[in-house]
Amino acid sequence: MRGWSYLAKRVSFSLMTIFVATTLNFFLFRVLPGDAVRNLSRVPHASPDLKAQLRRQFGLDKSPWEQYLLYLRELAHGNMGISFADQKPVRGAIVEALWNTIPMVLIGTIVAIVIGVATGVLAAWWRGSWKGSIGTSFAIFFYAVPTQWLALVLLIAFAGLLPSHGMSDPYLLDDSTGAKLIDLGRHLVLPATTLALTLYGEYALITRSAMLETLGEDYVLTARAKGLLPRVIVRRYALRNAMLPVTTLIALSLGYLVAGAILIETVFSWPGIGYAAYQAVVERDYPMLQGTFLVLTFSVVLFNLIADLLYARLDPRITL
Amino acid sequence: MKRRGLRLRAILTALALVAVLAGCGGSSTGAGDAKRGGVLRIGTSNGIDSLNPFVGINQDDFAVWLAIYPTLLQYDTTKPGMPYKGSLATSWKFSEDHKTLTFTIRDGATWSDGTPLDATSAEWSLGVMFKFADGAAGNWGIKDNVTSIKATDAHTLVITYSAPAATALYALGNTPILPKHVWEEAASGNGKGLKTFVNEPSGDKPMVGAGPFLLTKYQKGELAMFKTNPSWYGDKPLIDGWGLQTFKNKDALVTALKGGEIDAVGGIPPTALNTVKSGGLVVDEGPALAMRDLIINSNPDKPKNRELLNLDVRKAMEMAIDRKAIVDTAWLGKASEGSTIIPPAGASDGQEWHNDAIDVVGFDIDGANKLLDQTGYAKGADGIRVADGHPMRYEIVFADDESGAGDRAFQIIQNGFKQIGIEISQKKMDSSAAWEAIYCDDDCQYRDFDLAMWDWFPAADPDFMLAAMTCDSWGDWNDSGYCNKEYDALHQEQKGATDPKARKVIIDKMQQMVYDARPYIILTYDERIDAWSSKWDGFVESSQGFFNNFSTQSLEKVHLK
Repeated sequence: MRGWSYLAKRVSFSLMTIFVATTLNFFLFRVLPGDAVRNLSRVPHASPDLKAQLRRQFGLDKSPWEQYLLYLRELAHGNMGISFADQKPVRGAIVEALWNTIPMVLIGTIVAIVIGVATGVLAAWWRGSWKGSIGTSFAIFFYAVPTQWLALVLLIAFAGLLPSHGMSDPYLLDDSTGAKLIDLGRHLVLPATTLALTLYGEYALITRSAMLETLGEDYVLTARAKGLLPRVIVRRYALRNAMLPVTTLIALSLGYLVAGAILIETVFSWPGIGYAAYQAVVERDYPMLQGTFLVLTFSVVLFNLIADLLYARLDPRITL
Repeated sequence: MKRRGLRLRAILTALALVAVLAGCGGSSTGAGDAKRGGVLRIGTSNGIDSLNPFVGINQDDFAVWLAIYPTLLQYDTTKPGMPYKGSLATSWKFSEDHKTLTFTIRDGATWSDGTPLDATSAEWSLGVMFKFADGAAGNWGIKDNVTSIKATDAHTLVITYSAPAATALYALGNTPILPKHVWEEAASGNGKGLKTFVNEPSGDKPMVGAGPFLLTKYQKGELAMFKTNPSWYGDKPLIDGWGLQTFKNKDALVTALKGGEIDAVGGIPPTALNTVKSGGLVVDEGPALAMRDLIINSNPDKPKNRELLNLDVRKAMEMAIDRKAIVDTAWLGKASEGSTIIPPAGASDGQEWHNDAIDVVGFDIDGANKLLDQTGYAKGADGIRVADGHPMRYEIVFADDESGAGDRAFQIIQNGFKQIGIEISQKKMDSSAAWEAIYCDDDCQYRDFDLAMWDWFPAADPDFMLAAMTCDSWGDWNDSGYCNKEYDALHQEQKGATDPKARKVIIDKMQQMVYDARPYIILTYDERIDAWSSKWDGFVESSQGFFNNFSTQSLEKVHLK
């Protein structure tokens, strides 16, 4: 029963966080200098009438408080509004963008986890030797480099070999599913690799330090003393226990991934949620901005919650 | 992004009818034995922001409308001085008093769905823009002195004016004519629907149009695809179609061109010139219709830092700017030194409009210091001059479209100003925020800002750029707070000067006035760099590049080798 009340507490806390973040987002964008109407009405002969008309149309003639209540009411009905920029429903645009983001982010993250954990384990096992140092140095390097810089370096390095723009070739003549999948795969390589490289460093460093901790434990010493193979010691004794913080980190970072892809999506013109957020900021498209930030907030909070629950599940010492 | 932001949009929007261009060289190809077929892949960093002609403001929007909608005229970019050439109208004529303009509309033209396209179509579409010129259609500017737009029969369109109109062709020629049967409902009532109409292809059917191409596919912020329009009334294009892909990052754009993912790009940054040259691509350079400016707040009622209104201070500032260093270092030589608000590349009606007789003050730090010493603003202990009790320390509103070359230009200016005891710092913002920082709002116009750096991409006809400096333009294109009744009177006068030579005399005077008052110090004029794959030939260049909103000649004549 304690577990259920903990769950209820965590979930309600998460919902509260989403509500607060949504509210902050709503007002934050309105504090930004510049607005959509001013952009649209900065034309010669723009009469005060036109400005007033546009403000009315976008609901910007109402007080921020009224706009906010209206926004909440519509949101409760699942309506995220109509984009100022292209007059289309925000929800459809966001769903489409999310579907574009997910495969890229997912592949990038999985690759990052695999390489990161492997590097971390080896670096811990080889601690003190040059092999271990190389592994750690690379991890620190990729952890430190700015994402957009790495994206550009890869883009320039693979110019002509791999596509640098969007997620499909609009001029593709072969219309078969196979050809389309290959095309998508080719477009995925650079953005997903950039994401994997920028993420793997963190996983590697955390895994390494967790591994070092467990490798020093008595039960590992016992295992060594029993003459078990290093492979077995690492896999069955050390890594299992070291995975605890790593799992939490993965869950936590997944939440930020959607937001973290903004830079990558912009460099590679990948039509995902990050790219949509970037465009919405430039266009002062409030409904679209609110929509994308709501999705980002929701994903961060959700994965935080999952991390919390997972932690408790994985480590029996933590009681709910 | 909006390749040069709001400013660019600004112009283009207003322009509506962009005028011509001068100095358009380029190669044209006889269609005779040129290879047919193929799809031209164009890359852009500007992109389409909206396909609705009452909303979109990017340069690419205008170029796309020209490709898919009919216009009365186009500009002939193959000829220097750019004459107008017929499109839907085969000829045009002014009355003696220059108050009536008659277009003869061609026979047998149709919309892509078979609906007839004649003088009544033009009457309806231009009429809507005229009717809502103070509202939703304000961006098309069909208003000045127009009294009526009438189709007297299927082949004759008559426009009447209350006064002689020197800018009549400029204001009407390139405006897209929209299909009534598609837009009629949106244009009903108060015309509010014009701004919210979603003008995009739905399903597999191309959008109804009557330009040389039809829009078949559109993905916002990413891609637009076009195929040749079989019912186009003009010269048949040689290609089967073309695509326009948007790259938000210029390095990615150049890389894609070099890697063969796309065939042609306009507006290559000077820093990438060597990259494209080494990539076996055809590179074409020429003077562009664009300039970079330092804005000095000229609102006479500005409450703070009023020393900036002192003409000697402004002159000293110009003397402390090393334009040559900006051209060489910031633009890597791909620009020229600026002087007046009408760039040398701007010409229309067979007339060049730039005033090259203006005596530009040169780079002269000692002279600038002397001039400032005379104003009595002496240097303080820290080397910064003190004016009316406060140090001459200012923030420059810096529109982020200027980043890159503009940052380097800023550093050169900052260094020059330091030597004359003026300290400046850079405040970067996106174009929307920069405009707000400059203008403030209707109840605090041009009150708070001191200096700004931005750009202009003017029309070839000088009217738009000249209008941007009038009192009437406060709150829309005027971004300096300059307002001078004498200047405004000249602006009206040139609008009625139907003889280009006489008009030039007035415009020269206006350029001199603005130069002397220095609401702007024009830093540099741009040079454009276009590049394309050597597999293609036949591009027709202009001061806006090969993909422009002057004419569709480039897209009609380009072909595979």
